[in-house]
Amino acid sequence: MSSTTAQSGLARARRGLAPGGSGGGTLNRKSKLSGQTRRTFFWLLLPSIVLLILINGYPLIYAGVQATHDGSLIDTGNFVGFDNFATVLTAPAFWKAAQFTLWFTIVGVFGSWLVGLGLALLLRTKIPAGGTFKVLLLLPWVVPIVVSSTAWNWLVATPDSLIPSIFRNLGLGTPLFLADPHLAAVMVMIFKVWVSFPFMMMMISAALASVDTTVYEAASMDGASKWQQFTQITLPMIARSTYISWILMTIFCVNDFPTIYLLTGGGPVDATTSLVVLAYRSVFQDFQTGTGVAIAFLMTLTLVIVSVFLYRQIRKSSVE
Amino acid sequence: MNVQPAANKAFSRRGFLGLTAAAASVPLLAACGGGSASQGGGGAGGTVKFWDMPWGTPAYNDAAKKITEGFSGSSSKASYQIIQWNNFYQTFSSAIASKTGPAVSTGGGFQAFQFEQQGQIAYADKVIDALKKNGQFDDFLPGVLDPFKTDKGYVAVPWQLDMRPLWYRKSLFDKAGAEVPTDWPSLLEAGKKLKGIGAVGFATGSGAGNFIGNHLMIMMMINNGGGVWTKDGQLDVMNDRNVEATEFMLELVSNGVVDPAAVSYTTDNLDAQWKKGGKAAFGMYVTGLPQRVGDTSGDLLVASPLAGPHGDKAALAFPNNIMMYKNTPSQEASEAFLVYYMGQLKSLWQQKLMNALPVFKSITELPEFTSDPNNVKIVKEYQPIAKTFAAQGAALNANMAVLDGGQALNQFTQTILTGKTDAKSALTAFQTGLQSVIKK
Repeated sequence: MSSTTAQSGLARARRGLAPGGSGGGTLNRKSKLSGQTRRTFFWLLLPSIVLLILINGYPLIYAGVQATHDGSLIDTGNFVGFDNFATVLTAPAFWKAAQFTLWFTIVGVFGSWLVGLGLALLLRTKIPAGGTFKVLLLLPWVVPIVVSSTAWNWLVATPDSLIPSIFRNLGLGTPLFLADPHLAAVMVMIFKVWVSFPFMMMMISAALASVDTTVYEAASMDGASKWQQFTQITLPMIARSTYISWILMTIFCVNDFPTIYLLTGGGPVDATTSLVVLAYRSVFQDFQTGTGVAIAFLMTLTLVIVSVFLYRQIRKSSVE
Repeated sequence: MNVQPAANKAFSRRGFLGLTAAAASVPLLAACGGGSASQGGGGAGGTVKFWDMPWGTPAYNDAAKKITEGFSGSSSKASYQIIQWNNFYQTFSSAIASKTGPAVSTGGGFQAFQFEQQGQIAYADKVIDALKKNGQFDDFLPGVLDPFKTDKGYVAVPWQLDMRPLWYRKSLFDKAGAEVPTDWPSLLEAGKKLKGIGAVGFATGSGAGNFIGNHLMIMMMINNGGGVWTKDGQLDVMNDRNVEATEFMLELVSNGVVDPAAVSYTTDNLDAQWKKGGKAAFGMYVTGLPQRVGDTSGDLLVASPLAGPHGDKAALAFPNNIMMYKNTPSQEASEAFLVYYMGQLKSLWQQKLMNALPVFKSITELPEFTSDPNNVKIVKEYQPIAKTFAAQGAALNANMAVLDGGQALNQFTQTILTGKTDAKSALTAFQTGLQSVIKK
């Protein structure tokens, strides 16, 4: 097959056409059916569209109304335009929370990915009781967050808790893991990585299972080192799954309320207050519904931008 | 090939679409129609929906349900539902907004004022009149009813007092050779001695979901004759008494009298400190502490209220209340139910199901209540000097909810407990935070 023919075949395949088939014919059929069929399609789709609008559109519109009013959960209140957004964007607390959310997300996504990747690679090797380990390693993801946060609290909260006691016995002082603002931020991030790595491990394990082992054998015969095999074969082969898991984990981290709120409540002194915690506090503790919903809108906007960027990376990796 | 007639084809397609549209609209119609139907039934007066919180063990709710279901007004009855504390304000708000809320409820201490502000509360003046007629009005402990009186009427009726007394563990004081504090200097002195044996001289906490630390800050201000509001309800955070109280709290923190990890303590952490073998020797906590932590050996005792440096003495209390809503099958039925329920409260204390104080003198004289010397001391020494979050004023309003659960007070408390501030800076930030969220 000449290169022109191959490119033409690829282009046809991308358009979903069979070899030798006539693209023009399909288009003609489409335009011929457009009147009656399109109306049928419209009526068939209408119930689903109505449902989608009710499920997604209505809350979104209502949230938009709340974000531009100064009311409560019961009463919409007066229209204030974009005042709530201005209030939020000029508040130092918002930017502090945004900064923590950024760090929390970066550490949560890449920390859990690194741990998950390491364990997925380890579990791919022949280790005794690998299946049992896999199940045990899933526990942090499976156990309800209320239970695990309580367990972590008891491990680190007081000077007499297990972990501070170990530090003290090792002569490293008595760190106040949840009372010191910096340590509390670190603890929340570690907790997030601990909760999330099983998800990453499963995603990567699934991707690794589809990699043909003969590729590695061929690379070994060509003299590639283990590191080269990892960076030149493994990572590119799991790139698509990696980007998908990054998108999902970014959304999980930015929207993560229980991990933070149950362990620290956003404290001490706002050291672990993320945007979602700030939004919750604004609505349900300060009863400022408009500003709370405005924060949620800004979060959604950011998430959409990040997701679109990562989705483009997925498409790029697919083409490559 | 079978060919259907055109009309038949059109009918089946339209029929299918119509059926689908009808099916899709069922949830919408159900959602729209739910409100009005929910309060119906139960005769001409309908069923009065009573929502109650888990104020004690499950046995409390069982008893409250029994009382509720025992109501039979003129052609009306009552139903009982437990509402969990988690997100309770959201639960009430959503239900009220969709007209599926209760007719009568207990709830957060300032909830009645929040919903009054939004036009959802039915005033309880007729209930008060009925209580005057049946003699219960004169049975109220002094001052418990006043915070609920507004220009428009009584917003709610108090049914229990959530007091914040000072507790001490006798064995730890004996071990440290310290005297139980009676004023601020002796609190500092005792705290230093207790620290010497590894005990905590002023136990508190302000971790996730723990409001005791917040209450302690306000209690110390009130105890010194201060408070967050003026007598006429204006914001007054920066007054000298508040500055003095905050400086004293910082002194306690810097001397290690307050646990350095207290800022992150949840109520579970704090309970563990108060349990037998725990470190807490002295501190402000809830009534019924021995029962709460399972130590009724007599080692946990109520201390007398402290005297501030100017001789002031005051305690903090939350008068929990029962409120009525405008969304009711019958206002008369709601009122009749509330009068009936107030008359049945005694049985809850007789069965020892309540940790909080009663609002009726007659209940404080019951043998089941007086058998606990801690209860007697709280009624005798704390109730007469008790003030609410409204101090230096007396009338409650919706802004108290913002103060109680809001970010401003919590941040202030945590700043003080970490000790990395000075009193005036912390109070200024507190005032600024409150100003940004309170309704003028």
